[in-house]
Amino acid sequence: MSQPSAPFNDGLSLSRRKFMAGTVSAAAAAPLLASRAEAATPVTAEPKLRQPVVTSLRINKQAYELSLDTRTSLLDALRDHIGLTGTKKGCDHGQCGACTVLVEGKRLLSCLSFAVMNDGKDIMTVEGLASSDGRLHPMQQAFIDHDAFQCGYCTPGQIMSAIGCVNEGHAESENDIREYMSGNICRCAAYPNIVAAILQAREETKGA
Amino acid sequence: MDAAAPRPKENQGEPLPRVDARLKVTGQAHYPADLPTANIAYGALATSSIAKGKVTKLRLDDARAVPGLLDIVTYGDMDKVDKPKFGNTGATSIGPLHDRTIFHDGQIIALAVAETFEAAEEAAQLIRAEYDEEKPTATFDSPGTATIPAAGKSPLFKEDVKAGDFDAAYADAAVKIDQRYSTPTQHHNPIELFSTTAFWEGEQLTVHEPSQNVTGWKVELARQLKIDPGKVRIVSPFIGGAFGSKGPMTPRTAIVAVAAKRLGRPVRCVTSRMQAFGTQTYRAETRHHIRIGAGKDGRITAFAHEGWEVTSRPDAYVVGGTSATGRMYDYGSVLTHVSLVQADRNTPGYMRSPPETPYVYALENAMDEMAVALGMDPVEFRRINEPKAEPIGKKPFSSRSLTQCYDQAADAFGWVRRDPKVGAMRDGDWLVGMGCATAIYPTAVAPCAARVRLTVDGDVRLQCGSHEIGTGVRTVAGQMASERLGVSIERISVEMGDSSLPPAPVSGGSISTASVCSAVLKACDAIRAKLFAAASAEGGPLAGSHNEEFELAGGKIVANSGASAKVEDVLKAMQVGAIEEYAEFAPKGATPEALKKLYAGTPEFHGGDQDEDSVKYAFGAEFVEVRINRYTREIRVPRIVGAFAAGRIMNTRTARSQLMGGMIWGIGQALHEATEVDRRYARYVNRDLQDYLVPVNADIKDLQVILVPEVDHAVNPAGVKGLGELGNVGTAAAVANAVYHATGTRIRDLPIRIEQLLV
Repeated sequence: MSQPSAPFNDGLSLSRRKFMAGTVSAAAAAPLLASRAEAATPVTAEPKLRQPVVTSLRINKQAYELSLDTRTSLLDALRDHIGLTGTKKGCDHGQCGACTVLVEGKRLLSCLSFAVMNDGKDIMTVEGLASSDGRLHPMQQAFIDHDAFQCGYCTPGQIMSAIGCVNEGHAESENDIREYMSGNICRCAAYPNIVAAILQAREETKGA
Repeated sequence: MDAAAPRPKENQGEPLPRVDARLKVTGQAHYPADLPTANIAYGALATSSIAKGKVTKLRLDDARAVPGLLDIVTYGDMDKVDKPKFGNTGATSIGPLHDRTIFHDGQIIALAVAETFEAAEEAAQLIRAEYDEEKPTATFDSPGTATIPAAGKSPLFKEDVKAGDFDAAYADAAVKIDQRYSTPTQHHNPIELFSTTAFWEGEQLTVHEPSQNVTGWKVELARQLKIDPGKVRIVSPFIGGAFGSKGPMTPRTAIVAVAAKRLGRPVRCVTSRMQAFGTQTYRAETRHHIRIGAGKDGRITAFAHEGWEVTSRPDAYVVGGTSATGRMYDYGSVLTHVSLVQADRNTPGYMRSPPETPYVYALENAMDEMAVALGMDPVEFRRINEPKAEPIGKKPFSSRSLTQCYDQAADAFGWVRRDPKVGAMRDGDWLVGMGCATAIYPTAVAPCAARVRLTVDGDVRLQCGSHEIGTGVRTVAGQMASERLGVSIERISVEMGDSSLPPAPVSGGSISTASVCSAVLKACDAIRAKLFAAASAEGGPLAGSHNEEFELAGGKIVANSGASAKVEDVLKAMQVGAIEEYAEFAPKGATPEALKKLYAGTPEFHGGDQDEDSVKYAFGAEFVEVRINRYTREIRVPRIVGAFAAGRIMNTRTARSQLMGGMIWGIGQALHEATEVDRRYARYVNRDLQDYLVPVNADIKDLQVILVPEVDHAVNPAGVKGLGELGNVGTAAAVANAVYHATGTRIRDLPIRIEQLLV
């Protein structure tokens, strides 16, 4: 017990740096599939590790070309590199849902996805929902109407998730909504209001 | 009608949507870590992996080799800065980098600063400490704890309340119970991560950090950094959930400020969810011993409540909920005692209704046990023990609508359909149970300042250094100005969350609405007085009328006679473009030092059990239906009804939402929430949102909040009782009581989990 705990070295004798280097060199196309054995192979690609990778993202219908550390999550790319801070970091572990965005129309936890994995993809964040004349998306308006938030921090994730939930066809009953929205934690606990908001905006969202 | 916007009843304000709602649904509400800051460097914390001992060596070479690393702040680097102080403003007296002593697991040992977040994280994880480790004491029953009396250890807990001769009354009681209860460690876990962003412009320091106390932090941070408080600005325009966790400032703030100074550029440190468990505060575990004696008629004659609370070695954090439980019912005699149990842990801190959540849980569970022992309906048992005055000091309640709360909640819930027999109610494979409990929370108020400006164009600018933590305080402050100045809410801009604004007290203790609205009321009334005086002055448009005959509505001053004058014209006649008033509100009973203390960030609280004339509390009654699967013992809460009376309700929408959130917190406390402590290492085990369970959408079904009308002019000028912490006080006991009703198993140790019911 003489070392600080770190998620990438507990029991593996392997630093995050080496883990990432190993995976990038071994399986660039599917970095998260690298096995422990592969990851533990001697590191040869280390000098390349921190060389930025040019990544193209289409965010809210606008094209961005970014030079990013391969370790940068999509969430951090949005917040720190593009300045779209509407998408929130609540845990960085895919456990709270605050960072939910739509990628190719499907909801995705942006903290669990490296930005480079989304090269060429179409991404929608909360900033892209309202129309250019300021008219809110029906889901945004419904969240206001039903007071579906208090502090508002989880709200962008809740709204993106709600739109995804409707489009998946998982908002057909209140029970379904409760179940399929349970990946988005609201610590202020506006849950009944969130369900009411989704019911209100459901039909309009399907057509949006 | 929309459930989110209850129709206002007597003494209740309109359910206006939140004034910042649009910002929140469009991603434009900027929380402190969102505020744009140029040329930023990223900080990441390294924390201790032991709970007790000393750091003998810190190996930084690997961390320093990380490309992009800019600096490491560690031992020696904080020597020119004063240590933190423990108190209302400071979370702990532990200065983690002032001293190589480790007081608890997860204590800060260094801050790595780098060009990117990724590099900072990488470097922080490569920092290696060597320790001279001692065996730590984790919690109750661990070897090495020290138990001390709590009374007098905190300014907020002066004495163990008592009344009459408990021992004699208990000995004589015909019916009695003697039981022990416990509540676990809990962490607030607001969804916004804790963060500090600091930058210096010359000698001026600005800190962006989610805070419930910008004025207090300004003063405390200046003290630590040995600079003039006027050189420090704390900015916190939106706070992503707080629940007490962002009340006291933690040692991280000064460390990041020092890093920014050393580097000469802005530094942002966002604490990981895991690190927050050890670097922030939490609700400590508690134990309770309760004895109640009563006559066969159900009248209580004796009540004893002993509590034990864990705290850290250096800081005596006390909640002492016996102040409330000892005054709840007409007990006859009361005996209480609170003890602190010191262990090798980080210092606990305020978490939503800090004293009441654990202590009232124990009391209300015991009240249900007592009702069972008496063979009495639990609602009736509480009704016949309603006090005319509180039993300790025999002072009256400024208002107490608990009976009305029970009546209305019981009616809405359908309590009459409850079969009192244990295990008698079933629905297929589900055992059905119904339980109830009382909620209580002290009504306090503190000094507060506000600036209000009414312009000739009819716009209002309201400034107050309070904090929008999700309560809706921005909205209700605007609503108060709207009402008093006759201006629609759309024309009012409300600025909060900045220590450069007029000071407000810490947003804790459910005091914000009462304190802020009382200050806004005072500022608006000063504006009204000027307007009315000008209008009624000789040659004015309403000359000859008296001030008290005027009202403001729709941009006009309207006299009783029906005559009116446009505010715009009165301002023009006064030859001013705006009237601006700076008001300082001090509650009744405030000391001569009260306003000075407000500016110093140490505001006085008044109310609760502290006033001479009366005791001031808000009350509620909560009813819960549980369903327990007869095979798996899965526990569900399909239905919950709460009725609450809290004086004037400024906005029924935001009030209902807060109470609803509180009730759901209570369900979490009953069934989900517990930070598991590894007794070997005094370490929190489930340090993330996967394993620290909180209620999710699927846990909540039918929830009803009833706002019971109540008028109380004694509490404060606004007539408002706080309700942000009231909602979660009774819930856990109501759930436990319903579980007993369904199963016959009495659970006294929270949280209630399936395994406890597999008997």
